[in-house]
Amino acid sequence: MNLLDVRNLSIKLLTGEKAILAVDRVSLTMKEGEVRGLVGESGSGKSLLAQAIMGVLDDKWQVDADRFHWRGNDLMRLSPEERKSVIAKDVAMIFQEPMACLDPTTTIGEQLAEAVYSEEFTGFFWQKHQQRQLAAINLLHKVGIKNHQKCLKSYPHQLTDALCQRVMIAMALARKPLLLIADEPTAAMESTNQGQIFRLLASLNQLKNMSILLISHDLENVTHWTNTITVMYSGQFVEAGTTEQIFNCPYHPYTRALVDSSPKANMHIPVKSRLMTLPGSIPILQHLPIGCRLGPRCPKAQRACVKAPKVKNYHGHQVSCHYSLKDNY
Amino acid sequence: MLIFTLRRLSLFVFTLLLLTLLSFSLSFLFPGDQVTNISGQLNASPEHLEMVAAQYGKHESIFIQYWRYLTHLFQGDFGISMASQLPISEEVLNHLPATIELSSVALLIAMLVGIPIGFIAAIHHRKVTDNIILSFAMIGYSIPIFWLGLLAILIFSIQLGWLPSAGQISLVYEIEQRTGFQFFDILLSDSPYKWQAFQNASAHILLPACVVALAPATIFIRLARTAMLNVLETHYIKAAMAKGLNYRQIIFRHGIRNSLVGVIRDVGLQFANLVTLAMVTEVIFSWPGIGSWLIESIYQRDYTAIQGGLLALSSFIFIVHILTDFIYASLNPLAREVHHGSR
Repeated sequence: MNLLDVRNLSIKLLTGEKAILAVDRVSLTMKEGEVRGLVGESGSGKSLLAQAIMGVLDDKWQVDADRFHWRGNDLMRLSPEERKSVIAKDVAMIFQEPMACLDPTTTIGEQLAEAVYSEEFTGFFWQKHQQRQLAAINLLHKVGIKNHQKCLKSYPHQLTDALCQRVMIAMALARKPLLLIADEPTAAMESTNQGQIFRLLASLNQLKNMSILLISHDLENVTHWTNTITVMYSGQFVEAGTTEQIFNCPYHPYTRALVDSSPKANMHIPVKSRLMTLPGSIPILQHLPIGCRLGPRCPKAQRACVKAPKVKNYHGHQVSCHYSLKDNY
Repeated sequence: MLIFTLRRLSLFVFTLLLLTLLSFSLSFLFPGDQVTNISGQLNASPEHLEMVAAQYGKHESIFIQYWRYLTHLFQGDFGISMASQLPISEEVLNHLPATIELSSVALLIAMLVGIPIGFIAAIHHRKVTDNIILSFAMIGYSIPIFWLGLLAILIFSIQLGWLPSAGQISLVYEIEQRTGFQFFDILLSDSPYKWQAFQNASAHILLPACVVALAPATIFIRLARTAMLNVLETHYIKAAMAKGLNYRQIIFRHGIRNSLVGVIRDVGLQFANLVTLAMVTEVIFSWPGIGSWLIESIYQRDYTAIQGGLLALSSFIFIVHILTDFIYASLNPLAREVHHGSR
């Protein structure tokens, strides 16, 4: 059974004159125990999609979807508040810039304690405080922080970025989530710390069978840790499939370009030659092209591309392109 | 924390030194004889005046003169008032407590009313409540205080008769002066009518304090509103939402504390403004504070009183400023340990 099944989710930015379609009919499915990567350039709407799933977007944004199922339950039928409580119970999210996501004036201990799910506790309220502290310490141990006394007493600015991200993960684990959405968890971090965080996430996935939606702009890095990958471009769905499918035989010209631009996949090219990149940059929200938004940059674009292509499914490898590269392989 | 305290104290000392420099230079700038201006000896015989001039180092260099002036100040000798021929220090000690009472009660009212209302406005951002509060704040800020004071007397004292219109306490109560602060004196006294006196003094302070508090309260409304709006847009609020906290928990646990950090900083700045308002209000409500005394001395060209009152008032404002800095530091862990070069 699918854990999460989102079909044709659109996010509109309500501005003065005309609403801007920031995310255009993106579909996403997650299975239990799966690690899925959500890859795209900055500004491709990955974080928006994640925040829409969590329901933490403010009222400037309008979210529509054809289908939004969580473990077989249709969440579209529930009111926003009910939906949020269902999601908050089973889905947790960690953000980029962990330091900014922790309240600067409250100690780590207090913030962890308030994340702990208090309904599991028994006894009177004075006993609950003790249990809360114990639970917080246990959470810190789970994410590999051994010096819990010092960590609980400190303020976020006294910890390093990697430690803050561990604390964020600890908070996310407090409710024993089935799905963890990690929104660029290692942005602006050193590579050793990056490795630590990713290894921690991988072990959580293996030991607790927790699904992880890993959002990143770095396709190459993500392939080490994921089973499946969804690629987005400028708010549109591009391609989805297993990591091998995406990395070894991408069907979409954009994914092809992403793979070509990564140094590791191109070890065979001559020394000091240029890496293949797409011309131009991602369009800004005010000037989105019609049809397939990759159009102006796409090496394969033809006349039909002014109409958005339908998603085609080849044995679980979904691609949204009129001229897919399927026959090239 | 020790270094933080030492830094504030050194700032305090140096600002006070600058203030004395200003008040010292005033004695040259005021018309008339400098020694008379600085000592207030108006009707002294020539021999006596010569003695005072020698005390203040009239015939020596300007630095020595300043040093002499400083030593006089440190001995608590601000000269004597030209108008009443009483020592300035005594006059200031008589009048300052009333002003401290009035302005602290007003500050308390302004904060207790203004900051929560500002938070409410931010929570209902861009809704009817927000607009009503904002327009109320705008009106409250633009009302001239002189007119407001007269209007308040007219309505609450004369028409409705709820509150007394002038003075600190009814003359019926005889309160022995001990600290100079009316409320403390009442609480310390052995009078059998202690509580009636306390009630009476509270009724007297309510109207002027509310008049003084109105303009600062509207500023606090706006400050608190912006601070809360800024906090609500930060990442940690979004993260707290993703954690599954509800809106009320987010506001009470993370919103209020963080936005207070932003507001408290400006409370110290607003206090100077508030004291100015209190000076005008003291005249309207015949409040026996340093403000009305200072304005009276300005009318009477009482130069020694102006210098002494200026020193006393500004050091009082500065002390409050430093106190708010300490409150700020206790709320904001980031301010407590400023390392070298980080600011």
